[in-house]
Amino acid sequence: MNWRSLVRHETILALLVVVTLVLLAQRSDRFLTLDNLLNQGRLMAEVGMIALAMTFVIVTGGIDLSVGSIVGMVSIVLGVFWHDVGLALPVAIVLALLVGTLGGTVNGLIITYFKVPPLIATLATLALYRGLAEGISQARSVRGYPDWFFVFGQGQILDVPVQIWIMVVGAIVAACILGLTVFGRTTYAIGSNEIAARFSGLAVDRTKILIYSASGLCAAVAAVVFVSRVTTTRSDMGTGWELDAITAVVLGGTSIFGGRGTIVGTALGLILMQALKNGLLLAGYKGDSTIVVIGAALILTVLLSNLSHRGRET
Amino acid sequence: MIRLPLAIALGISLCGVAHAASTWTGGDDLPTNPLACDNTPATVAAKPYNGASVTGAPDRKGKTLTVVDVPKLIGIGYFNATSKGMADAAKELGNVNVKTDGPTKANIDDQITFIDNYITSGVDGILFAANDPVAIAPVLKKALGKGINVVGYDSDATPDARQWFVNQAQSNGIAKSLIDNMAKEVGEEAGVAIVTSTFTTPNQARWISEMGAYAAKCHPKLKFLETVEAQEDNTLSFTQATTLINKYGSDLKGIFGMTSVATPASAEAVTQAGQCGKIAVIGLATPNAMKPYVAKDCVKSVVLWNPVDLGYAATYVLRAVTDGTLKPGDTSVKAGKLGDLQVINGSEILLGAPFVFTKDNIEKFDF
Repeated sequence: MNWRSLVRHETILALLVVVTLVLLAQRSDRFLTLDNLLNQGRLMAEVGMIALAMTFVIVTGGIDLSVGSIVGMVSIVLGVFWHDVGLALPVAIVLALLVGTLGGTVNGLIITYFKVPPLIATLATLALYRGLAEGISQARSVRGYPDWFFVFGQGQILDVPVQIWIMVVGAIVAACILGLTVFGRTTYAIGSNEIAARFSGLAVDRTKILIYSASGLCAAVAAVVFVSRVTTTRSDMGTGWELDAITAVVLGGTSIFGGRGTIVGTALGLILMQALKNGLLLAGYKGDSTIVVIGAALILTVLLSNLSHRGRET
Repeated sequence: MIRLPLAIALGISLCGVAHAASTWTGGDDLPTNPLACDNTPATVAAKPYNGASVTGAPDRKGKTLTVVDVPKLIGIGYFNATSKGMADAAKELGNVNVKTDGPTKANIDDQITFIDNYITSGVDGILFAANDPVAIAPVLKKALGKGINVVGYDSDATPDARQWFVNQAQSNGIAKSLIDNMAKEVGEEAGVAIVTSTFTTPNQARWISEMGAYAAKCHPKLKFLETVEAQEDNTLSFTQATTLINKYGSDLKGIFGMTSVATPASAEAVTQAGQCGKIAVIGLATPNAMKPYVAKDCVKSVVLWNPVDLGYAATYVLRAVTDGTLKPGDTSVKAGKLGDLQVINGSEILLGAPFVFTKDNIEKFDF
């Protein structure tokens, strides 16, 4: 163990997060309150869940641009199953989650069996799933969900919002799978050198399909939570979330070329993004300046990380 | 084994597409109330106050207010104009600080997050224009629960999520104005199309429903060919209008632009297609954006209210609410240079009848 192993992306990012939190806390006394922090956790949970699966996707060297559209499609399907088809809401939720997972599986199949690059495959399904959401919904919103359903988006367990529990449990599971299991090592192997992984006898295609399916499932869970939070269903839900999730993952040190990245990094990336959005606003800066700062932070951390990474390789 | 899921996916897509091709009007399902075909004014039935109340608000009478304005999106002419009206009113009143901040895209999620963060930062009042009446309701109720006064303008939330809503014009009045002017230009038997923002945007959906009802009643031979979505996006609006022109050819006699972005973009599409005078464009837009097309006679009438006055009125209403001079049950409110504004529908304040800009008057306006 030498000092170089400490100069990892996650360490740099963690320091950056701490510095940011301290600076922001000095600018507004409302920032570091438990109430605000829990509320911020609530607001970032949906993108957070998507980012967990997105970490796996990007570690394999792939990308999933369709997650925002899957959120839209799953919300609509949830509303249609419950309101128009007349199924019980719990059944509708389960079916909607299945539809989201199927959406992800379709991505995986297109990518593995037809050898379509992930960028193009999911760009196509981004349009396809959003189109389905709009077509099926006929631009009608579904409203009037029963009160118990709002637990997912607005309820609390032990004073902590329900969606934070879902996100934290998801993060722990994802971190264990990626860091400790054969599946996780296969994921890294695919991202480092897919051909070598195939020759080593690893189940490359099966792993990829599972990862894209999980990405669809996470987007579907996020959709259910979001519908519960805003109490209505719209076909444009989740627009642009794919970019937020990818930003968090890349900010967290996952290499867009694959083979490198951790769930801890993604979590730090998410926290940094949300802290900047919220803290700058509380400090009196307007919304457009936060976008600029997040862009700058992204470039800065990636540059720092590349420097440290290069340092280790030489 | 892989064929099956793909076949299913394709099947679902085809069903979705076929489903989408059926009538798609872009309206909402709420009941309509078309006005009379001549100029008989509508009768306004008095309704009890149906807005929300704020809990635990400190006494703000006469005190300086910190107010945040969260429009549907920032950076377009229309909401720049409402912001200007708010700044004008704040300057006149002298005891209101109002700041406009919001998403750069008309997006429910971002708008909710902005409002949530401003609640934490501790404002006295929130002015909003909702991207979705129901989605925004939980966060507005949270604000009311924390003693923050909430007033909407331009696009409403559900009444139980805000105290008052400043309504620029009644939907049936807008619908009548748009349809009457279209019928005047293209005749009674003509095909028309609509370029709207999104089908779920509450006020556009409301207007389209009212337009359909009013046309059915007073201009039954007007044929609605199609309604297309174009967000509040300039390029997309232009593309959609161009597609309509190419798709329907000489069957298309008129285009309605439902947003301040769609109308000038549609006028530009008609101009570039060389169809000026053959395809009429009528819509809601700000005068500055429409001046070139009106000057060239490509567009004859632009329907709108004055958005500067809308922002101005909303600020006066918020001040009146915090001062306690506007209470549930009141029938009018004083709004500076605009005079007394009427309370309608229980908890809405009406700015006035829609205004039609034409070649004769458009040069007098600058926003």
